[in-house]
Amino acid sequence: MEVNQETIHHLAKLSNFALTASETARLVTDIKEIVGYISQLDQLETDGVEPTYQVFEMENVWRPDEILPQEADREALLALTAETRDYQIKVPKVL
Amino acid sequence: MTKYIPTIGVECHVQLCTKTKLFSEVDNDARLKQPNSCVSPVDYGLPGMLPRLNGEAIKFAIRAGLALNAKINLESRFDRKHYYYPDLPKGYQITQMFHPIIGEGYVELPNGHKVRIEHAHLEEDAGKSSHESSYSLVDLNRAGTPLVEIVSQPDIHSAAEARDYAKELWRVMTYAGVTYGDLYNGNMRFDVNISVAPEDSTELGTRTEMKNLNSFRSVERAVEYEIKRQTKLLEKGEAVIQETRGWNEATGETTGQRSKEDAKDYRYMPEPDIPPICLDSADVEAEAANLPKMPSWYRQKFNNVLSQDLVEVLLDYPNLMAKLAELEGNQAATKKVANLFSSVLLAEENTSLLNDKLPTKEQLITLVEMNDNNELSSTATKEVFIKFFDPEMHYKETRTIAKELSVIQENDLGALEEIVNTVLEKPETQKAQSDFRAGQEKVLGFLVGQVMKESKGKANPSAVQKILREKLR
Repeated sequence: MEVNQETIHHLAKLSNFALTASETARLVTDIKEIVGYISQLDQLETDGVEPTYQVFEMENVWRPDEILPQEADREALLALTAETRDYQIKVPKVL
Repeated sequence: MTKYIPTIGVECHVQLCTKTKLFSEVDNDARLKQPNSCVSPVDYGLPGMLPRLNGEAIKFAIRAGLALNAKINLESRFDRKHYYYPDLPKGYQITQMFHPIIGEGYVELPNGHKVRIEHAHLEEDAGKSSHESSYSLVDLNRAGTPLVEIVSQPDIHSAAEARDYAKELWRVMTYAGVTYGDLYNGNMRFDVNISVAPEDSTELGTRTEMKNLNSFRSVERAVEYEIKRQTKLLEKGEAVIQETRGWNEATGETTGQRSKEDAKDYRYMPEPDIPPICLDSADVEAEAANLPKMPSWYRQKFNNVLSQDLVEVLLDYPNLMAKLAELEGNQAATKKVANLFSSVLLAEENTSLLNDKLPTKEQLITLVEMNDNNELSSTATKEVFIKFFDPEMHYKETRTIAKELSVIQENDLGALEEIVNTVLEKPETQKAQSDFRAGQEKVLGFLVGQVMKESKGKANPSAVQKILREKLR
């Protein structure tokens, strides 16, 4: 897989990041290296090896369907956002 | 001229009516609640928060799967689907991309056609954004509501059938009791994929997708419009562009919105915070044992008893169907009660009567018997039936209600004969009697009316007519 400026711009767009030119250049190098490393792993023979989804070997961790009082209330949570209006989170217009 | 065949697939999001959200212990019923009042740090996607899977949502998903005649996958897992949108604060949605809980199944439409289900999976809903002129507002009450997303095979080939499928899904899910099924509040939302291709083509055409349709009618209209639009393009030799199109309810048109992301843009990865779901067959059997009867079961049950149209009307009311099924084996009673339900209870002026307290099987059977025995005229039968829904009357026995309304017909021939005699002795009926004897058939109505009056309306008119004919021969 080729990693270039365009790849980084695309990823940045998907993640809603604004990157400077120097950050983009650095990320091209970094991500190239990461992808290169993964490509090495790709060469391993993994036929018949079960994928590892998790390392704790847990399953069925469920909770009962009961409403619990929340420590953080609406005001506390809304206080974390940049701007609110009528108890809603105000964001730049999206469509 | 080439004929073009449309091919349609539907993805349907069903909000499950669990008490709490999929991954947080927060109230899942945000109807009539203030914005952002049903939220927790988990729904906010705050750093360090951990999702806690709701066990009840798994049971609901199993039930939904069984209602879809589907195989339940005993092992299923969650994945992250990454995309950026303000109503999804985590930056990813927890869904089941690779190991969904519900496998292949099918939905049988009223016309008998089966639409195959490719799979269905559990995932969390996003919040709700509303758009103002220069900004947008986000309410996260809905963020984290459990959804089952049902993905059909492209087995649908007309707008009407797309509507039928959407409606049948709604019925199946509400009968299974896994959703409130309130379309107005977005409890079920439909994404529709449409393509058209020449009749003799072995390949499907380029498809467009319309998201978030929230009524059967808009599903039908949007599909209709899109089939026409795409067919026109192809007839002109132009290409259909693969894109998501928005449906405008007011103009009845679709317009291009954005080209669809590639699946790889979602950067799916296994969700490391939630261990896999490993069911055993007993978990599935337990839900199967509790699964209510489905619409197709009722259709089959009433197949030879009620007309198909009547069944389809009544199927919109699961409690009425269940009540009819209680009249097991009594076909005549089933027919009469079904007609009372549709022509009286569901009549425009009585819609407010319909509530959860339906008449008992005994009340209904006695009502039908009294009608059969001519104790109640058809009008009186309706009057008594309506009183079954009166909060002051509904607990009373049928006969008691009929007595209180004074509508029981006199069928005792001896008693009727006495009343007839009284009337025939009255001077004001003498002329009518001789007119009738002279061959004037229509005066019989007058005489019957006199007897009805004398009996204070309780005489059975057809019995009265018979006695009168005997006497005036």
